[in-house]
Amino acid sequence: MAQNARSHKASKVVERMGKKLNRQMVGSLVGCVHCGMCAESCHYVLANPDDPTYAPAYKADQIRKIFKRNFDWTGKIFPWWVHAQDVRTDEDLEKLKDIVFGKCTNCRRCSLNCPMGVDFATINRMARGLLVSVGVMPEGVAVVSKDQWEVGNQMGVLPQDYLETIEWLSDELENEFKDTAARIPIDKMDADVVYAINPREVKYDPRTISDAARIFYLAGENWTMPSEGWDMTNFGLFSGDDELGGAVVQRVYEKVIELRGKRLVLSECGHGYRSTRCEGPNWSGTGVPPFVIESSVLTMLRYIKEGRIRVDKEKNRAAVTFHDSCNNARSCGFYEEPRELLNLLVTDFREMYPNRAENFCCTGGGGAMSMSEYTPQRLKSAIIKADQLKATGVKVVVTSCHNCVDGLTDVIRHYKLGMKVTQLVNLTANALVIPEKVVVPVEALISVVTLPLQGFKILVVDDEPDILTFLAAVLEDQGATVIQAADGEQALALTIQEKPDLVTLDLSMPGKNGGYVFEEIRNNPEIASTKVCIITGKPELRRLIYERPVAPPEGYLDKPVNEETLLTNIRMILELKRPHGHA
Amino acid sequence: MLNELRVNEKIIRLMVGFITDIQNMDGIVYYARPDLTLGAGFGTAISTQGGPKVQEELKKTGSANITDVVVTGGGNLQAKYILHAVGPRFQEEDSEEKLEATTLNVLRKAEEHKLQKIVFPAMGAGFYGIPLEVSARVTLGVAREFLEKAVEPKEVVFCLRDSRELKVFQENLQKMK
Repeated sequence: MAQNARSHKASKVVERMGKKLNRQMVGSLVGCVHCGMCAESCHYVLANPDDPTYAPAYKADQIRKIFKRNFDWTGKIFPWWVHAQDVRTDEDLEKLKDIVFGKCTNCRRCSLNCPMGVDFATINRMARGLLVSVGVMPEGVAVVSKDQWEVGNQMGVLPQDYLETIEWLSDELENEFKDTAARIPIDKMDADVVYAINPREVKYDPRTISDAARIFYLAGENWTMPSEGWDMTNFGLFSGDDELGGAVVQRVYEKVIELRGKRLVLSECGHGYRSTRCEGPNWSGTGVPPFVIESSVLTMLRYIKEGRIRVDKEKNRAAVTFHDSCNNARSCGFYEEPRELLNLLVTDFREMYPNRAENFCCTGGGGAMSMSEYTPQRLKSAIIKADQLKATGVKVVVTSCHNCVDGLTDVIRHYKLGMKVTQLVNLTANALVIPEKVVVPVEALISVVTLPLQGFKILVVDDEPDILTFLAAVLEDQGATVIQAADGEQALALTIQEKPDLVTLDLSMPGKNGGYVFEEIRNNPEIASTKVCIITGKPELRRLIYERPVAPPEGYLDKPVNEETLLTNIRMILELKRPHGHA
Repeated sequence: MLNELRVNEKIIRLMVGFITDIQNMDGIVYYARPDLTLGAGFGTAISTQGGPKVQEELKKTGSANITDVVVTGGGNLQAKYILHAVGPRFQEEDSEEKLEATTLNVLRKAEEHKLQKIVFPAMGAGFYGIPLEVSARVTLGVAREFLEKAVEPKEVVFCLRDSRELKVFQENLQKMK
């Protein structure tokens, strides 16, 4: 019997598949007529025309054949006729893993273009979930899933680190506006807006939190951020784990209810929006929550329309294009509002083609950014996105999704497009017209930014002399004492000798590479507590750092890094308060 | 709902929180991998807050089998010890029996080290896919039985991550009353 020949894991996969088969799933599993329409819409196929294994219909067939062999009468009786085939071994599961995780970003462009209504992304997601349930998944998926299950957010930001970052940003905001009310409230009861974010903002891009806080403050909003349930992203959407999906949204919903919040506003994140607003009620089994859920794009648009904030588009004069996130546009029909807002914020907006629900994936969707083993094929297929971006002729891409920010940044870097990615919250904050009553005196601003890194010793490590010079110049301008090392050996020696407060560390260096240096630092009790910020041009090496059996680095930045991002992150890592503190 | 169960002079207690932040615990239970790499999730918290010493100690042991429990110091954590319990994962065969054995081994190690208060997570639930109901029933059951006879520990806490986990543990604790 086929069942007896299966490995334990394969048996569990088939057993669980039976429980996942609802009408929508079966419709997609039996509906394909292999017409090829899906192939024409998939960026993997378009970038790899000679490789049929990328065709959505082919990929679906790898799941479909298991369904037919085990659950469909035709496959049970005439397996050879309908190409039904069982999954037998753990090796079969590994092969399936490389297809469902490595050859599809679940962007749903093929689903939209299927005349038979086959939603391949849905069955692909189901297959991911089946594999995850038996522990077959890329290591990056395991890391992120475990972080979200146990720590409560996708990036493993510990509760104390989250609260300290918000506190630090609050101090900055208060100083900026010289107003003790200009702070980020935590767990304020009866707020009109509870603002939930993507943990990427806390870990790598706190500027987006500051920008949102400026907007809420100037709008006079009664708002708060929650101390728990603040991560509105949801790796369950990517991993296919409905239980994780339900647990995450339940934590978010319950916190809003506990705070008696009236409206849950989600920062710009495509999959977070889809998960929390659209899929969440089903996954959690709690039904539609008793409060409004909206994207911060709508919130910002409303503030402008109601005159609660004023913006001046002349402050954003660079020509920009807009990239629709797959989850926002294709899965939630959310694409006109971002454009309406964008047109209020910039002087020169140029559409990218195709756009809206037909836009191509950033190529980092579906959790692809966490699966470094598939990076080469992801970036190869990204030529479609790169050509699309290049054709716009602009140097700034706006998107309303954190995942897309990372995906697009990677594409831009790989194809050397020389473009910058930003979000609507950044453009809105930049365009804000500050009312007279909160105008910050010039003197105050000058005093606030006076040498904030004074007294800190920082070791910068990079084998590229230009980058060393840049890092040193920026940090010295801010008052830091900077030491430089051009290779790993020198870096280790200087860390022991100089005991710097912080080491900025390149990963890819000849000789002792950054990963080795990092582990040596962590394993040497004398210098183990030195703060480390990885700065690398090879994001695929990230897993090599985070999988090491030592405490993770305090910060991580992708090259090219600009001055503002560098300083924001360095100050955050050093947990630095503005020198002039509270008003 | 019930959050505490007295067993002779000892107590089983349920709470919602973050396991490495719980004060006054002698031992923290970590649901470990067979290669004893701390990894992500609570492992991130242990390596970040506890420092590199914990992983260094684990390196000396190397690896462990399912149901084994390896005890290390708590590093910079407030708890003196970490009990690294290598439990069953991802629907593996005989998961329930293995979870029972793992929990019992944790309690035996706690007794051996004379730990008065230890704190468990929802063992194997969540990422490792042990159904929450099974995790609650098995671990609470083993803890209760053990506390009836043992001298130590005096207090066994289950630190749960959210109300979803708490509810299932409360229901199971209620049944044991």
